[in-house]
Amino acid sequence: MPSLKKLAALFIALSLFTLPALSLADEILNVYNWGEYIDKQVITNFEKEYGVRVNYSLFSSNEEMYTKLLSGASYDVLVPSDYMIERLIKEDKLQPLDRSVVDNLDNLASGVQNLDYDPDNTYSVPYLWQTVGIVYDKTRIDPEDIEAQGYAAFLNPDYKGHVYMYDSERDAFMIALKNLGYSANTDKDEELQAAYEWLREMDKAIRPSYVTDEVIDSMANGEKWMALVYSGDAAYILSENEDMGYLAPKEGTNIAIDAMVIPANASNPELANKFIRYILEYENSLMISEEVGYASANQQVLDELSGEGGTYEGNEAYLPRAGYELDEMYHDIPESLRSQYSSMWIKVKLHE
Amino acid sequence: MKSFFRMSYPYILWIGIFIVAPMIMILLYAFSVPGNSVLTFQFTLDNFTKFFGDPTFMRVLFTSLRIAFLTTVFCILIGYPAALFISNLSEKRQTMMVLLLTLPMWINMLLKTYAWRGILMNFDLESEVKVFIGMVYDFLPYMIIQIHTSISKMDRELLTAAYDLGANKWKTFLKVTLPLSVPGIISGITLVFLPAVSSFVIPKLLGGGDYVLIGNLIEIYFLNAGDWNFGSAISLIMALIIIASMWATKKLDRNADKD
Repeated sequence: MPSLKKLAALFIALSLFTLPALSLADEILNVYNWGEYIDKQVITNFEKEYGVRVNYSLFSSNEEMYTKLLSGASYDVLVPSDYMIERLIKEDKLQPLDRSVVDNLDNLASGVQNLDYDPDNTYSVPYLWQTVGIVYDKTRIDPEDIEAQGYAAFLNPDYKGHVYMYDSERDAFMIALKNLGYSANTDKDEELQAAYEWLREMDKAIRPSYVTDEVIDSMANGEKWMALVYSGDAAYILSENEDMGYLAPKEGTNIAIDAMVIPANASNPELANKFIRYILEYENSLMISEEVGYASANQQVLDELSGEGGTYEGNEAYLPRAGYELDEMYHDIPESLRSQYSSMWIKVKLHE
Repeated sequence: MKSFFRMSYPYILWIGIFIVAPMIMILLYAFSVPGNSVLTFQFTLDNFTKFFGDPTFMRVLFTSLRIAFLTTVFCILIGYPAALFISNLSEKRQTMMVLLLTLPMWINMLLKTYAWRGILMNFDLESEVKVFIGMVYDFLPYMIIQIHTSISKMDRELLTAAYDLGANKWKTFLKVTLPLSVPGIISGITLVFLPAVSSFVIPKLLGGGDYVLIGNLIEIYFLNAGDWNFGSAISLIMALIIIASMWATKKLDRNADKD
């Protein structure tokens, strides 16, 4: 049946021509962000207002994002964390923001101003921020009790079998180093070894379940007594289950900032700058922070959401502790050290 | 003949770009140290001594081989009777049963594994048992279909002949059906053991963070640690294991043919 074949060929040829035509009709912005880290409505509104199309893709770790970027993928806006931005700046992989477009930085929260990795916001604008802390069941563990213990609660055999540990080598080593009184950014071998021994002792004492994002629902359901979580996730857990409390331990913790940047190889930097300005606007920042539970980089939004009548009023996890001397941001660490972290962490988890 | 050979050029190009080139990259990475670009290549065996010198990694390797072996054995134990049962049905029913068997394979493996995660969450089982259940479930259809194909290809007259000569049902099975279905079992083993030994999604989703197989090791060193050199060395070791086990099954196959 030649006529059918011809028809099929015509159809294929037509679709080849029309598909690119359809997508060329709009200007495209490629955004690469963490999963579950935005209010989708903000994207839709931006598309409508500017008559463009946003290609929104997700990553689940800074390293994944970095690997993708290395492989040559082109994005217009990325939202990596502090230490990754430090590396990207060092490697000349970012372009400066157009501050004549991104001119609405005056509302930055006090906790996210003047940051080491980019003090003048030349390359980056904070998006959301968080600390690492402990969510615990107040009906099982006395708040005063856990406050007195701090991270040492992870060595307390009374809690054996009732603890979730976040499966992230950097955060696990952070709590060990902090409890031992060292910096989370140490590169001294004896301090790392001490932290490793600390974590092995933890594994033996409490036999935690090593989990990632499933910790959020599990703690909201009150399945265990205690868990190491990010404050943004903790804010959600606390809003779901009123028995849960949040503690930023006295030994100090990690403050993590996720910020918007424009990669050097972006194909539409002009629109990217407009997008960043749009996200920074009060209304949009409010929608995002309210939806995901992580602290906004906008002071006005922070005040609104944590203040009287706000969505996160009285939620201890929403507002990160700012200005505490022992809190640290992560710095970029060399490849060999990262590999060492991984090897040691595998041994901890496998009960070696 | 010549023009026929020319038709294979696209395939050679394909193999070159997507199989040979990445393999060479893995080789280069595996035998060099971190921070060493390809231009200033410096040969080292460090990555391999690190792997074989560490009892933790050896244990991970052993666990991977053990669970892949157990999965394969159980797939045969469950799959063989099932295949035998199916091939004794009428032709129409056989088609139906094979369709039912392949039906779950149309669904993405990730989704099926997530479903198992939801189910197994309610049971207090060892991580290894959970991973084992997930693997047997996922790979079983491959085994059944392979065995079923080889049994149904068998000449039924052979069974009648065996009965005529006085063999009972059990003896007929042992002397006729089983030997003739060995090729099916062997290709089933290949289709189950190889993906099982390199699986990393199932252990990751069902086993939890303290259950690490060799596929997870590779993922950890590539993604979390950014140590592509050590990750490549592990990949290479695994590739060698896979080649060795393919060679072994082929040898088994040839021996079976001789009988």
